[in-house]
Amino acid sequence: GQSGGMSGPPRPGMPGQSQFPPGPGMGLPNSQGGSNQMAPPFGQPMGGPGGVGNPNAMNSGFEMLSLQDTGGKVVNLLQEKRLIPANGIETPKPKLSYDHKKANCNPDVFRCTLTSIPQSSSLLSKSRLPLGILIHPFKDLSQLPVIQSSVIVRCRSCRTYINPYVSFVDQRRWKCNLCYRINDLPDEFQFDPVSKTYGDPQRRPEIKSATIEFIAPSEYMLRPPQPAVYLYLLDVSFNAVETGYLRIFCQTLLDELDKIPKDSRTQVGFLVYDSSLHFFNLAAGQSQPQMLIVSDLEDVFLPCPDNLLVNLQESKELVIDLLNQLPNLFEGNMETGSALGPALQAAYKLMSSNGGRVTVMQTVLPTVGPGALQAREDSNQRTTKNVSNLGPATDFYKKLALDCSAQQTAVDLFMLNGQYADLATVSCISKYSGGTVEYYPSFHAVKNRSLADKFEEDLRRYFTRKIGFEAVMRIRCTKGLSIHTFHGNFFVRSTDLLSLPNINPDAGFGMQMSIEDSLTETSTACFQAALLYTSSKGERRIRVHTMCLPVTNQISEVIAGADQKAIINLLAKMGADRSVTSSMSDAREALINAAIDSLSSFGNTLPASQRMGCLPTSFSIRLLPTLVLALLKSSAFRHGVNTRLDDRVFALQQCKSLPLQYLLQTIYPDLYPVHNIDGCPVDVIDDEEIPNPVLLHLSSANVDRQGVYLLDAYDMMYLYVGSATSNQFCQDVFNAPNYQSIMDGLIDLPDLDNPVSEKLRNFVSFLMDKRPGGCSFLVIKEESKNRLTFFGYMIEDRTESTMSYYEFLQHIQKQVKS
Amino acid sequence: MATYQEFIQQNEDRDGVRFSWNVWPSSRLEATRMVAPLGCLYTPIKERAELPPVLYDPVLCTRPTCRAVLNPFCQVDYRAKIWACNFCYQRNPFPPQYTAISEQHQPAEIIPQFSTIEYTITRATCHPPVYLIVLDTCMDEEDLQAVKESLQMSLSLLPPNALIGLITYGKMVQVHELGCEGCSKSYVFRGTKDLSAKQIQDMLGIGKGHAPQQPKGPHNPQQQQQLPSNRFLQPVHKCDMSLTDLLGELQRDPWPVAQGKRPLRATGVALSIAVGLLECTFPNTGARIMLFMGGPCTQGPGMVVGDELKFPIRSHHVIEKDNCKYMKKAMKHYEALANRTANNGHVIDVFSCALDQTGLYEIKFCSRYTCGHMVMGDSFNTSLFKQTFQRVFSKDGQGEFKMAFGATVEVKTSRELKVSGAIGPCVSLGVKGPAVSDTELGLGGTCQWKLCGLYPSTTLAFFFEVVNQHNAPIPQGGRGYIQFITQYQHSSGQRRVRVTTLARNWADASTNIQHISAGFDQEAAAVLMARIAVFRAETDDGPDVLRWLDRMLIRLCQKFGDYHKDDPNSFRFSDNFSLYPQFMFHLRRSQFLQVFNNSPDETSYYRHMLNTEDLTQSLIMIQPILYAYSFNGTPEPVLLDTSSIQVDRILLMDTFFHIVIYHGETIALWREQKYQDQPEYENFKQLLQAPVDDAQEILQTRFPMPRYIDTKHEGSQSRFLLSRVNPSQTHNNAFGWGQDGGGAAVLTDDVSLQVFMEHLKKLAVSSSS
Ligand SMILES: [Zn+2]
Ligand SMILES: [Zn+2]
Repeated sequence: GQSGGMSGPPRPGMPGQSQFPPGPGMGLPNSQGGSNQMAPPFGQPMGGPGGVGNPNAMNSGFEMLSLQDTGGKVVNLLQEKRLIPANGIETPKPKLSYDHKKANCNPDVFRCTLTSIPQSSSLLSKSRLPLGILIHPFKDLSQLPVIQSSVIVRCRSCRTYINPYVSFVDQRRWKCNLCYRINDLPDEFQFDPVSKTYGDPQRRPEIKSATIEFIAPSEYMLRPPQPAVYLYLLDVSFNAVETGYLRIFCQTLLDELDKIPKDSRTQVGFLVYDSSLHFFNLAAGQSQPQMLIVSDLEDVFLPCPDNLLVNLQESKELVIDLLNQLPNLFEGNMETGSALGPALQAAYKLMSSNGGRVTVMQTVLPTVGPGALQAREDSNQRTTKNVSNLGPATDFYKKLALDCSAQQTAVDLFMLNGQYADLATVSCISKYSGGTVEYYPSFHAVKNRSLADKFEEDLRRYFTRKIGFEAVMRIRCTKGLSIHTFHGNFFVRSTDLLSLPNINPDAGFGMQMSIEDSLTETSTACFQAALLYTSSKGERRIRVHTMCLPVTNQISEVIAGADQKAIINLLAKMGADRSVTSSMSDAREALINAAIDSLSSFGNTLPASQRMGCLPTSFSIRLLPTLVLALLKSSAFRHGVNTRLDDRVFALQQCKSLPLQYLLQTIYPDLYPVHNIDGCPVDVIDDEEIPNPVLLHLSSANVDRQGVYLLDAYDMMYLYVGSATSNQFCQDVFNAPNYQSIMDGLIDLPDLDNPVSEKLRNFVSFLMDKRPGGCSFLVIKEESKNRLTFFGYMIEDRTESTMSYYEFLQHIQKQVKS
Repeated sequence: MATYQEFIQQNEDRDGVRFSWNVWPSSRLEATRMVAPLGCLYTPIKERAELPPVLYDPVLCTRPTCRAVLNPFCQVDYRAKIWACNFCYQRNPFPPQYTAISEQHQPAEIIPQFSTIEYTITRATCHPPVYLIVLDTCMDEEDLQAVKESLQMSLSLLPPNALIGLITYGKMVQVHELGCEGCSKSYVFRGTKDLSAKQIQDMLGIGKGHAPQQPKGPHNPQQQQQLPSNRFLQPVHKCDMSLTDLLGELQRDPWPVAQGKRPLRATGVALSIAVGLLECTFPNTGARIMLFMGGPCTQGPGMVVGDELKFPIRSHHVIEKDNCKYMKKAMKHYEALANRTANNGHVIDVFSCALDQTGLYEIKFCSRYTCGHMVMGDSFNTSLFKQTFQRVFSKDGQGEFKMAFGATVEVKTSRELKVSGAIGPCVSLGVKGPAVSDTELGLGGTCQWKLCGLYPSTTLAFFFEVVNQHNAPIPQGGRGYIQFITQYQHSSGQRRVRVTTLARNWADASTNIQHISAGFDQEAAAVLMARIAVFRAETDDGPDVLRWLDRMLIRLCQKFGDYHKDDPNSFRFSDNFSLYPQFMFHLRRSQFLQVFNNSPDETSYYRHMLNTEDLTQSLIMIQPILYAYSFNGTPEPVLLDTSSIQVDRILLMDTFFHIVIYHGETIALWREQKYQDQPEYENFKQLLQAPVDDAQEILQTRFPMPRYIDTKHEGSQSRFLLSRVNPSQTHNNAFGWGQDGGGAAVLTDDVSLQVFMEHLKKLAVSSSS
């Protein structure tokens, strides 16, 4: 029951909008107002790096304000052009008492779309903002308190782990902050492991830190912790060999073999496949690997009872031997079929006694045996509104994933396909087993070097990153709140329990929430995520994150506390679901409506006089229209633009499972001018001087012929070189006398000994290091054929088939209820 | 004229043939009254050192329905350069290359001494044979090691350009890719699922990707051409090193076997895959599948026993009660495989070594239909297996392998005769023709048979029917003719045709019965009867077969004996009949027909050998040979009778399957007291050694190598001797034997030859029968 779609007829009685064109020279809105009483100490960075002392920050008046207070400020979107702070979009801080705020969970790990929780569902619906939480539960953390104690203190009623937000009734009792039960405190808890004295329970790490990890005693184990088991499923069909990925895969694994998370029990196995399955018996003591080929795939079986998974330590020589041989073994393989389904069935059988991680490298559509698929993409239909075949063609992969999940096995999928491979169907194997999906469209080791480099970097990260096995994650929240829809790759075992056969540090999750009972009794709402897992060393551990947020009965506070980055993340997840369960046009409409609703609800809080002739919104959610437009133009949700089905499906998948900051970067990439990098202010990070250029809106108006721009879209980075770039810059950065001499399509910057080159390279590598995996890098010259790729990211521009940002605002304005 | 005995010997030496009757009754009616069937044992490629090499094609009779080969019995008009066919009387011109022919200048094929001649077809392509090893890996370590070593050794015996392949099986079946470096490769198949040749081809990826290597250059006849190899069948010279390594690394089947269970063994599927692999790669090319099994098939098609040890494998008793869970299905599986293999022109050898049965009873068709070897032993780690296996690759005087492949034997007869069937390790090719009789005996209804494998000793029994009517007399001096045309692939790869043409005189049985009876070959008749009996025993009830044999014997005695009615004492048989009843006596009590002292596997094995071997060996099987060694003179053959067992004798018994040395009581005692070690008893040492040396001679030549048993008076293994000798010293009146001629009672095992003969005479002379 929301506003109509974009194509709907204009509503009667709406005032004309065209008299407010956003001409150049429009002044900034009044940005000096507002009180400052809650401002943190001067100089403390608020929303990201940079901040005070950065002259570029002067570009926006917002920087001068406490975000806490600007959250509710009115912004007229039709006037305000510069919505993104130079240092990036701010992250709101919940209005909590100092103690609570200090302890609170890192928002990169755990955050809510609304940092002030509406007291009632009616208030929530009045805000017309989505309520949900986003969690990145296994994120690599530089500091993590780990405690080993015989007793883990938990609420006897709701099993909440004791946390910084509980209250102590007295020295012996504590009150649960989720269900309010009063629990006894065990004597042991009086002991402070740091000072080794008895006394105040508040000194315990559990009370001091919102994120904590316990080494679990045996009652947290259904069975003894299993060894880490890694099985690699490698496509070796004609196409796979042709891409050259196998060589990169084998070499990278060889390089990293000593660094994979493991202990003395760790097992590995390899199963490669074309239209047959090729198992490897790597029993220690053999003189060479034994390949066992199974071609009868209707009812897959294992060719031998053991030694297909072998102890890495004992069979290391054979593993190395095999990795060295593998690329050559299949050189010239003419077999084009792909028995992915049977390979996965075999993997399931291999893994079922133990569980572990299955890694799949797939380059083509599976065509052989159970799980074989037909090409469903009509390339002539790539630009149409009605995108079909976003859902799976068969439940084969989902069923198998659930079987895997039940046996504590997760399947990670690396798609390296040039042609359609039905990611929508195949990715189910990872989605429901708690795996990850990576995608390298048109991968080729030689023809697409920058992607190959990214692949290699990703693999290095993948092989060596932390991993948790046989994991479950439970989310609890304050009584009255209810979690109802989960986003990410997992299987929901019971209402609040996610089954995660594997958990990796790069997986993100989202949950939608509703307010079942009004939160009148409390001033705060709490959320706790507990992740129980087995480490690669065979330890059972529990990582607990607790978040505390204020509850409010004021619509203005709800809106002012809204977290637009979290909201757009949640909207992306909801939209991704909607595109599959309903249709792409529905999903798009819902996204547009979300933008409209946010404006409507805020508008309703203003007197009519303030709404006339402008499009007012709250400072806190001022970027929602921009970001919704970005989403609508993203490969996940766009129409009218040629988009390969697999690209779209992958983008939708990313919406569901990328952690917040990375997803945001894919939706609205970062654009930096770097031609003046030498004059940029610098941050010193780890003894490195890192330039800190301003962030620009994605509009070609911000791109000059004289300029050089770095566009960081999370999994790819482009350096756009304007045709009028100074010769000096060309010399400094590219070792080329002038623009003409620069080679287009460079995938690396030359290592030149001058401050410009050094700074630019430092900056690029600083950015690269901010993401867990690799990132492809490409130099695009202004006249390059790739320029369209670059300008395709200029989301605020108008194109033949899409609206400009301003047109979009006008469209929204039409729909906003007055 | 020479004696018949000499005649028979000459004929056997020259033509490899022994007829039951060497003079043929000239009318159909009389022929049916001869009791012993008119037939012969023919050894198609009997070793003949003196055969001249004939490097041209045989000359055929031009009559399309005849196509007999020019032979010494044809009339030749040297002037007109015309020859008359002795089968159809067609007059044929000699081909142009025979223009120089004259009485002084005769081609070999019309010279009388070359009634058997061998042509080498020079146009045919030569292929080296293909060997596909199918190896059971569910054996104990010791056996597996032994068979691996034997196989590694065999690589040096194979021709270097022969192709070789390896399939191993246990619970799964593995087809090994050969010549892989750095990483061994094998295709693994589920042991429970049968696959068609097409499926196997697809699953092994044969014919995909790289095109097979075809020999280049113009077609060179009579040159060894390399077969297009694939990853699974490679020339020995290319892969012998890697195959040696592969065999070396081969492990026992890795699947766990629970307590109280048999290992899961997929013999049926393994064999099926082997058959399918050759079917899709080398149809109608000489190839042999060599199956080495150490136990019964326990799963999938062809399973003969379940994996629960508490349920034993079927015995004859269970078979008789028709209470075998798996037998019929398994037999169907193996028989179908055998037929397919025969159809493809391939051979299946079965080497079965285990203490318990392995299922030879069910698998037997594979060897029988393809003329493959069947070898049965207790363990692969015995000289019995090792020596036998080595002899598979034995060579003749010219250094050529004795094994031949892909043979067809065609029979042509003169018009008074027709062929009613063959019994031997062959299949019918179902070729009708004027020589085919309506009456079938053995595999009939055809004039051509296929033997996928062939060895110098391979012998077929052929049976004939005289079709000449009584009122159509044959002219005086007329002769009947039979021609055997055997085409085969020599081990060198050459295509060869051996032609044997035989002529025998006709005689009018109503007037000249003595001519006919004089030409009776009792040894040939006994072996032919044994083949028929065993053939019938495969399908009929045991007792029925025995009754039939009894009836035939009595009738033969009645027909050819000399006696006064109802006076048994008057019964006389001429010399060339005199041993026949004794052969029948021993045949009746042999393991071929008395199955209950043996396992079904043993029965199958024994019958297979009887069905394959030549006359001499078959006679040994029927009536073992017993030699006595003592201080009283040179070693001598003695009666197969308990009376031959004496305290101061050493006996050497050869049953073909066993070589038994039996030390009489005193000799055994002396041996225990080690007299042989004392210089003054050198003669005793020599006496002990003599039978051992003689046994060695047999052991070293016979295929399969017999089991060697050294025993003594009251030794535990003396039963091997005691069960075969005529129990003359146990008196037993077996009343009622064969009294009604229709045969009610059957002789019990311990009836002596003397009792048997008395009853036989009584029945023969009885006017009531
Ligand atoms: Zn509680
Ligand atoms: Zn003729």
